[in-house]
Amino acid sequence: MLQHLLTLIWNKKRQHFLLFLELFVSFLVLFAVFTMLVYNYGNLRTPRGFEYRRVLSVTASLQVPEGASKDSLTQLSEQLKRSLRNMPGVAAVSYVSSNSPYTLSSSSDNLSYDNISVQAESYWADDDFAKTLQAELLRGRWYNKQDVAATRRPVVINEKLAEKFFGAADPVGRVLSGNRQIVGVVRNLKDKGDYAEMIPGIYQRIDSGFQDKFLIKLTAGAAPSTESQIYKTIMHHLPGSSTEIEKLEDKRVVKNRLALVPVVLMLVISGFLVLNVALGIYGVVWYSVNKRRGELGLRKAVGATAGGITRQIVGEALVLTSLPLLLGIILAVQFPLLHLFDLPATTYIAAILLAAVFLYVLVSFCALYPGRQAAKIYPAVALHED
Amino acid sequence: MIQLKKIEKVYRTDTVETQALNCIDLNVAKGEFLSIMGPSGCGKSTLLNIMGLLDAPSGGQVTIAGSDTLHLRDKQLAHFRNQRIGFIFQSYHLINDLRVLDNVELPLLYRKSTAKERRELAGEALGKVGLGNRMKHFPTQLSGGQKQRVAIARAIVGRPSIILADEPTGNLDSAMGNEVMDILLRLNKEDGTTIVMVTHDEQMARKTHRLVRLFDGAQVQ
Ligand SMILES: Nc1ncnc2c1ncn2[C@@H]1O[C@H](COP(=O)(O)OP(=O)(O)OP(=O)(O)O)[C@@H](O)[C@H]1O
Ligand SMILES: [Mg+2]
Repeated sequence: MLQHLLTLIWNKKRQHFLLFLELFVSFLVLFAVFTMLVYNYGNLRTPRGFEYRRVLSVTASLQVPEGASKDSLTQLSEQLKRSLRNMPGVAAVSYVSSNSPYTLSSSSDNLSYDNISVQAESYWADDDFAKTLQAELLRGRWYNKQDVAATRRPVVINEKLAEKFFGAADPVGRVLSGNRQIVGVVRNLKDKGDYAEMIPGIYQRIDSGFQDKFLIKLTAGAAPSTESQIYKTIMHHLPGSSTEIEKLEDKRVVKNRLALVPVVLMLVISGFLVLNVALGIYGVVWYSVNKRRGELGLRKAVGATAGGITRQIVGEALVLTSLPLLLGIILAVQFPLLHLFDLPATTYIAAILLAAVFLYVLVSFCALYPGRQAAKIYPAVALHED
Repeated sequence: MIQLKKIEKVYRTDTVETQALNCIDLNVAKGEFLSIMGPSGCGKSTLLNIMGLLDAPSGGQVTIAGSDTLHLRDKQLAHFRNQRIGFIFQSYHLINDLRVLDNVELPLLYRKSTAKERRELAGEALGKVGLGNRMKHFPTQLSGGQKQRVAIARAIVGRPSIILADEPTGNLDSAMGNEVMDILLRLNKEDGTTIVMVTHDEQMARKTHRLVRLFDGAQVQ
């Protein structure tokens, strides 16, 4: 029967050209949509690598008085940190750079090691960073006060960067460009939102100067008033500063929403397209069934069952879909083959499969009702009309 | 082979009601070649459709090869049409998008068969109607007589025990008509196929075993 359907469709190829084109384009759009969905879903499923609950993200900007010495500013920040840490309800405090978790800023740095060069997110954070975010160290240790004496600047790199530079080898002790010595490897922190991709990252030690951005980890039993107490403490140390305290939890929600905006937009647009294509296919199948009543009546006259007719109509639609689908797949596999975007091949393959299945299901669904109607054709009536 | 008892057929549309057949009793014996005649619109095609299970009568009983067909379900009806009955239609009803060979194979597609068997049987049937050299043509590339012969090949390819022919020579000139008639006569004689043929041509009808005349949906002879 399949061969019969192929023959039938091949003989009518000219009539089907436009439908072919429509199906081909639909497949490519579906492929794009599913690539995006698979990509985002894959990112969503990778572990976050840190704990965002009960963490406050604080910005305390201060017009630093002119002529203030660096040492005095360092001292100011250190005193503030000490006071905060000693507050009841505070578990840990860490100064961080402006690209801290769930902010909109990022800062990249070109790192090199042994002729390999990698674009990495460059973070600055102090000694208590890992403790504040409960980030897990996979190798070595986080940097600390003892590193002050070292001639090289201590850095911690994330898994992703370690993998790029060293593969499975141990990075601890190696020296990167800029005289930076690796003291530890931390688990990837998915700090740009739950749908963001893991990127290589390097953490460098904050040891001096005025710091205006920090994270505060609260204890499990922290009193509700802790936040206002923190505010008071900051204002006490930095009078006249403009201070903003946000929950990392809230920032995460906002960041995730931002990431979903293009996804939702694309889903809506492609949803309309899919609806259009579905109506198109439905119309074409419906039209073809009505034009071919004589043929279908004849098939019943020579022994086709009602189910056989429905299967034929749906089968024809599926066979019809297969050729443009095949062309679409040939085009789509070029993406992983040519490394057109920096996405893993598995993402593309999953997207191709999903798009193909989706298109087949859509087409079967659209052909089913006309196919059912076709099955009800009475042979005598249909043949009489011809 | 075919027994019709008190067959009634009424066509109802929104405005009119047509009594196409009125109390037809007819028996066709195994191996018989029967012709049906009558004026246009008297119900000949309707009667043939009912015999071929293409249409259900409004009343009465159709028995084919000993089975009462009234209560057959869709699947069984399809099986019956496929295995026992070959239909030749007034206006050929070939599928224009399929080549001659594929058209002839059509009934075999609805039974268990391999592609090779289908090719062979279809080729054989086309040989019988003298069209062995037209297998790759499309129906639109054939003359009326050739189309009718393709339709005959399609009707006989499944070796049915009954052939129902609705004016198989109606659209053909007399030479072509005689040729088609010869094929039918041979099928009846050599293979013992039971044939019921509707015709407007007295000459053709005279070559068959028996003639039944219809008038206004009723049997007059
Ligand atoms: N599907 C239908 N709906 C309504 N009326 C029909 C239908 N088919 C046939 N009829 C009517 O039934 C009557 C018999 O029609 P039928 O086709 O059997 O005639 P016929 O004897 O085969 O005529 P012809 O010699 O012209 O082929 C006609 O009056 C026709 O108008
Ligand atoms: Mg007729």
